[in-house]
Amino acid sequence: MELYQFPFHAMGCPCELRFYGIKRQHVEQVAMRCIEEAKRFEQKYSRYRSDSVTGRINQSAGTKPVTIDQETRAILHYAGVCFEQSDGLFDITSGVLRRVWNKEQLCIPLETEIEKCLDLVGWTKVKMTADTVYLSIRGMELDFGGVVKEYAADALSILARSASIIHGLVNLGGDISIVGPQPDNKPWRIGIVHPTKAENPIAVTQLHSGALATSGGYERFFDIEGKRFSHLINPRTGWPVDSLLSVSVAADKAVVAGSISSIALLQGRDGLAWLNSSGASYLAVDSELGCYGHLVTGDDEFS
Amino acid sequence: MNRLILVMILLGLSSCQSVQPWERGALARPEMQLEVGKLGSALYRQVYFSKEASSGGSEVAGAGCGCN
Amino acid sequence: MKTKGKPSPILALTSAALSLPAFAVTQPVETELSIMTSSYKEGDIPAHKVLTGSDERYEIDIHQFHVLTPMGRNWGFSFNTSRETMSGASPQGTVEGLDGQPALIMSGATIRESRTEIGATTHRYFDNGYMGIGMSHSQENDYEADAVILSGEWDFNQKLATLAVGLSYSSDVIEPTDALLFGRVEKENKHSGSFTIGWTQVLNKTSVLQSGISLTKHDGYLADPYKLRDVRPDERSEWAVSLRYRRYAEKSNGAWHLDYRYYEDDFGVHSHTLQTAWHQNLGASFQIVPSVRYYSQREADFYLPFDDFTLPLTVNQSSDYRLSTYGAFTFGLKGIVNHNNWAITASFDRYISAKKYGLSDSEFEHPALVNFTLASIGFDIRF
Repeated sequence: MELYQFPFHAMGCPCELRFYGIKRQHVEQVAMRCIEEAKRFEQKYSRYRSDSVTGRINQSAGTKPVTIDQETRAILHYAGVCFEQSDGLFDITSGVLRRVWNKEQLCIPLETEIEKCLDLVGWTKVKMTADTVYLSIRGMELDFGGVVKEYAADALSILARSASIIHGLVNLGGDISIVGPQPDNKPWRIGIVHPTKAENPIAVTQLHSGALATSGGYERFFDIEGKRFSHLINPRTGWPVDSLLSVSVAADKAVVAGSISSIALLQGRDGLAWLNSSGASYLAVDSELGCYGHLVTGDDEFS
Repeated sequence: MNRLILVMILLGLSSCQSVQPWERGALARPEMQLEVGKLGSALYRQVYFSKEASSGGSEVAGAGCGCN
Repeated sequence: MKTKGKPSPILALTSAALSLPAFAVTQPVETELSIMTSSYKEGDIPAHKVLTGSDERYEIDIHQFHVLTPMGRNWGFSFNTSRETMSGASPQGTVEGLDGQPALIMSGATIRESRTEIGATTHRYFDNGYMGIGMSHSQENDYEADAVILSGEWDFNQKLATLAVGLSYSSDVIEPTDALLFGRVEKENKHSGSFTIGWTQVLNKTSVLQSGISLTKHDGYLADPYKLRDVRPDERSEWAVSLRYRRYAEKSNGAWHLDYRYYEDDFGVHSHTLQTAWHQNLGASFQIVPSVRYYSQREADFYLPFDDFTLPLTVNQSSDYRLSTYGAFTFGLKGIVNHNNWAITASFDRYISAKKYGLSDSEFEHPALVNFTLASIGFDIRF
């Protein structure tokens, strides 16, 4: 049995499939189907394309409900659960806050600008029926980015498994879903991205099954007026979160691991306490590059 | 008896709110299922079936046994 | 953010994720495997109530196994076995004792018997429900039963309501031991058909109610071949209605279960069963479940406190305690230790029955009413 690696680019990130197989042709076929599926997710939910589901929903904000398919509906439902579970911190309508908080900004936005922008934020302002979704205020925007990449990792992994790949993993820009352990039944060793140095992993973890997702980290900060701000914005206050640098979570499903790590980051200073009480397997890195959590066992650590 | 059935139907049809799928976290919890523990439930059914005159209700009957 | 008393976000998100299409709605995505071992012990009958035979009652060891595994994208397969080994004496007749009270004729020496049941079910999952077909076989040295079970579930109104329908048919053969020696029937048949329909309704964010009706019809040999005199109709129609209510209390992080069943049959028996349990979560990995069950029944029309050997064999009569007027309480306590993909369950139940808890007045309490204890330990794993 041989290892085949398929690097590709999707959803704005470098991605990779690692599949073990006996016949090269079969493994390649499965990989192509997986890459097609990743591209399908990218096209369907890209916020930069006006013909995507996201584009259509956002263009109709404040004017009319948009008919959606079952998959989109299910993803929106899942985002709704994240909103509920995070007491409103995880909100897929919060992307509009990027209009006032971005690296092109020369000065810290005024409170009135933030207030005005916050009017366009709120999951509760999204109206859903059985087959439509409607953003009730003109200017509102949905951003599936925080859910779809992780979900796509799960979907690709399930697709590979249903095509008889037993040993393998799917990596979509650091969100990893294990198809199955390595052929000798050994776990995969997975490097966790260093929050400031992209080249070196800050730690290595071993995963036999399930998934790992990381939020935060490298290149996710910008400076305004000499002050450093996180790209993560609390949708309740409209201000960037003074958070952990990065959180990696291992769970059964990449989509769940991703939401847990995002919610933990959005909690700001309470993130660690929340992670501990949630019972998650995690590795958190704070601004002093201190590591917390029990995701990485002693002998795997090297930083 | 008829009154009881009527109450059941009323309870079943009225008083239900629309609960969005993302609000069903509590309902999805394992301890909120109708049957908690497959083998345990099967065992209780078997014991009560063999020691009491009554059976049935909400579960499909399986194979009989010489115990009743 | 407060997390105290809140359900684990991982659990909530994982169950929410299950409705994403890649995780194929209702279909199991993992293999689940369960084993359980139980010990069932009936209390002995007071010696003065036993006229002849042994006063030792049933002790049963039960071993159960269950596995459910997905097959492809839309199919699931489950397999169950259970093996019971029992020993003890059972009542064969009830006569008037010296004190005018009923006294028992018990079977003699301890009998050791076993029962083996195997069952297999295949499920086909759809976007809004499933259909299943299953078979099961139960084997004892003197009793054999084969059953076919059809079941299905359909979700309505965005899964706010679920309709469950079940049909089963069982064909049983009874071949009592030592039939010639004791003049028992040699070989008899029994057929049972059952229909169950249930409607589960989500009431609000924290509660759900199921209402169910079941109808069962038996025909064939329905008496107890080991009793000295037991004559019963050769048909029995039963029906039952049930309500099952579940409510989650966020503040205390627990769930309340309330079950009620009314049962009636054309033997003249009717009964009420009320059961309640509280599932208390203690942290993320422990759960403790106290429960109480109350059962109360009225006797069958042809129930007699004493066997009447003067009646012709065509007249129905039975002194089976299960057809007498009585009621019972069960007090149970269960503990569960949960870890990511496995769980250990231990439970203990105590059952006490008495005439005074029964639904109607009758003069005599049946001396064979059982009190039992049931202790179980089980292990579940998903992978």
